Amino acid sequence: MLITQLKDKETLVSLAEGKKVFIVNCHGCKEVHFPEKEALEFQKELSASGSLTGVITTDYICNPDNMKLRLQKHISEIEAADAVLVLSCGVGVQTVAEYLEEKKVCAACDTYPLPGFQGVTALEYDCDQCGECYLNLTGGICPITACSKSLVNGQCGGSKNGKCEVDSEMECGWERIYRRLKQLGRLDALKCPTQVRNFATDKDVSQ
Amino acid sequence: MIMRFVYQIDKEGEQLENYTKYQLKSSDELTSLLADKDNLFIIACNKCFKEFETVDEPDCAEFEKLAAEQGKTITGSARVDFLCNKTQTEKKLQDMIPEGTENVFVISCGLGIQTVADMAGTPVFAASNSLNYTGHHGMALTKKSCDACAQCYLNITGGICPIVDCSKSLVNGQCGGAKNGKCEVDSNKDCAWEKIYRRLEKQGRLEEFLNQPVQLRDYSKVNFKVINDYVKSVRESRFEGYYGGIHPSERKEFTEHLPLERFPDPEVVVIPLSMHAGAPANPVVQVGDTVMVGQKIGEAAAFISSPVHSSVSGTVIAIESRKHATRGECMSVVIRSDGKNTLHESVQPHANPENLTPDEIVEIVREAGIVGMGGAGFPTSVKLKPAKPVDTILLNGCECEPLLTADHRVLLEYADDVIYGLKAMLKTVGAQKGIIVIEDNKQDAIELMQEKTAQCSDIDVVVAKTKYPQGAEKMLIKRVMGRQVPRGGLPADVGCVVSNISTTKAIADAILKGMPLIERVVTVTGEKLKKPGNYIVKIGTNTQDLIDYCGGVTGDDITIKAGGPMMGFVVPDANVPIMKGSNGIIAVDTDHTAEQPCIKCGRCMDVCPMELTPLYFAKYADEENWQGMKDKNVMDCLECRCCEHICSSKIPLVTKIKAGKNAVRGMK
Repeated sequence: MLITQLKDKETLVSLAEGKKVFIVNCHGCKEVHFPEKEALEFQKELSASGSLTGVITTDYICNPDNMKLRLQKHISEIEAADAVLVLSCGVGVQTVAEYLEEKKVCAACDTYPLPGFQGVTALEYDCDQCGECYLNLTGGICPITACSKSLVNGQCGGSKNGKCEVDSEMECGWERIYRRLKQLGRLDALKCPTQVRNFATDKDVSQ
Repeated sequence: MIMRFVYQIDKEGEQLENYTKYQLKSSDELTSLLADKDNLFIIACNKCFKEFETVDEPDCAEFEKLAAEQGKTITGSARVDFLCNKTQTEKKLQDMIPEGTENVFVISCGLGIQTVADMAGTPVFAASNSLNYTGHHGMALTKKSCDACAQCYLNITGGICPIVDCSKSLVNGQCGGAKNGKCEVDSNKDCAWEKIYRRLEKQGRLEEFLNQPVQLRDYSKVNFKVINDYVKSVRESRFEGYYGGIHPSERKEFTEHLPLERFPDPEVVVIPLSMHAGAPANPVVQVGDTVMVGQKIGEAAAFISSPVHSSVSGTVIAIESRKHATRGECMSVVIRSDGKNTLHESVQPHANPENLTPDEIVEIVREAGIVGMGGAGFPTSVKLKPAKPVDTILLNGCECEPLLTADHRVLLEYADDVIYGLKAMLKTVGAQKGIIVIEDNKQDAIELMQEKTAQCSDIDVVVAKTKYPQGAEKMLIKRVMGRQVPRGGLPADVGCVVSNISTTKAIADAILKGMPLIERVVTVTGEKLKKPGNYIVKIGTNTQDLIDYCGGVTGDDITIKAGGPMMGFVVPDANVPIMKGSNGIIAVDTDHTAEQPCIKCGRCMDVCPMELTPLYFAKYADEENWQGMKDKNVMDCLECRCCEHICSSKIPLVTKIKAGKNAVRGMK
């Protein structure tokens, strides 16, 4: 899961300036999020200045086999261009760059990370993939994401009227945990000994 | 120890990492967790982004075994797909947890556990830990190749990522520690900066590259709150009205502003005797007969059937099997036009249309050969005699298919006829309310219809957010009325009748002019068509003539479809006639892709408006497990193609679903 943003205008212009360009748009994960309107506008400008040799708007360009089939069809338009501009996440740009090894392939977007939004397009950022689930001690509310400070051993004491001191629109995660545990009759879970968080990633752990 | 499986994705050896999203907690931890708990119910998520070979994951059985060894009572267990899908999990959970359960254990990533914890009244425990796999986005997950650093360096580095490919994530050149081109941290790895250097050298870009100023990496780029709000708003707006659906690029700008134009009269028309659901019509003319415009040339052959009429005046030159856009071949009446368009004597306005009884209107509609013009072709006269009381008629002005603008133009240019047709339908079925539903990408039509119906107390205009497949009957009813058509049921089961815009206009023509359905509006468009437009076309006109009239197509590798890009069907040979249900002819780029193995990304299930599980349909169709498809409710599928559109492996899901439906029908 990820969000891509179009690079700023200045960068885009510098990428295309004085060149013939071919554009690849990826709508595969567009819901999260491809800047469709902005991209279209930019392409209209390029098209008006006559510097566009062709456009592919397609999906899942990160799938190398299908991308090859698609690029082959447009190869003459691609050859006529000085550069290929790819509007997608970094995976897509590299897939195209690998196939068109001799061509200048540019990224027109920046990719933003969304750890915690794994699964099938979750609505909320509520699992940080910390690798050592705390939910058993907290009645199923994650202290890593529900608490601004990701405290794992209880509230910081800074909340006011149940709201977080870091973000006054956010409910104090530890108050939520307390209420949930109380409701379930499990307040004794709070007596559990402190669990130290291991910040190593799974890669480190596996080694 | 973390387990990861690697398997071959294709012959070329591209590898898909079977990315486990979670792992069971250690048995020591689980044992102590279980110590004071009994009467357990276990819910396991079937995982996502993995090879889709086995339906069930082993973790659940493993945990059950461990619990049994501790002498625990297990009240039951369930394996669920995509546990984090709140809408679907909520429904499944309703009756899942049996009486006597004291503790629920969930095996899933943190999202799934929290989804269950939010819904269950019983204490919920995690039996697994989520894994950290930042960077594995994109669909293929073949390898980690983008870290989503929010400031892409690929433009400087010839498309090789220094953040991921360099062990040290250096952004300003090599560290100097590489030996023989291999990384000093991991000797199996090529030095990323050498790779970058070589690629740029090849492209003649070394100068540009070496003169690049140092770029600092900004670690503060990402604001979770912004992203959180963004994702939430996108999701909420997608779920508006009904679950699932998609928003494909509309591309209606080619034709939405173009007024209707009458397509020049064809010299010859080929009128199929089957352009509707049900039995084909029986011909009532013979070769050599002279026919007039509006003259009946085929008689309805059954209750679910429809008559057909001549769209020109001239001579019948053949009654024979001809090419048909959806049926391969079909008996058709071929008429050479005399160019005069002489009306048949039966085409007479009905005297006193205000005094027509409901039964008389149904008869007029039947005799005029009116069928659903959205594509399905169900006889409208049958719809107008619903078996159950109907309180509301919904006029489907959504036209949610991308590219098509036929109904949009009919709304704008025949607004009065559409309203007249709706009133006639209200009277016929005895409904109290008529609702014209229009998507918010047709502001001009919304304003016009609001103005025209301002004085009608029994007609409302509802504006719906643009979303596909809004125009599907069941979605429309749910969105507008909040009513759920029962499984296998019809709109009338919830007191509704849904009608298409062009069909409604045809009803007005039949009553006011006595004119049967002999022509319709067709949008001829697509990015590969030279001169797109909206045309009033006589039924039986050759599709190729229509394309030629629009300047033909650009390029040779294009796909012609009858209908829209979503539900339309490919027309391999355009020498087929325009029919009652032909709302569009489109010429689009052929997409060259090949089917690949399912990676369980779950997006098909996420977009299915009927809340089905298309990934199982693909799996079961390949195994010819028709009973499995039936159990997964394949018969509820609308064939809207959302799943196929979103499928990252390009699996032809609808074809597989159709095969399943045929097999299930054969089972009875």
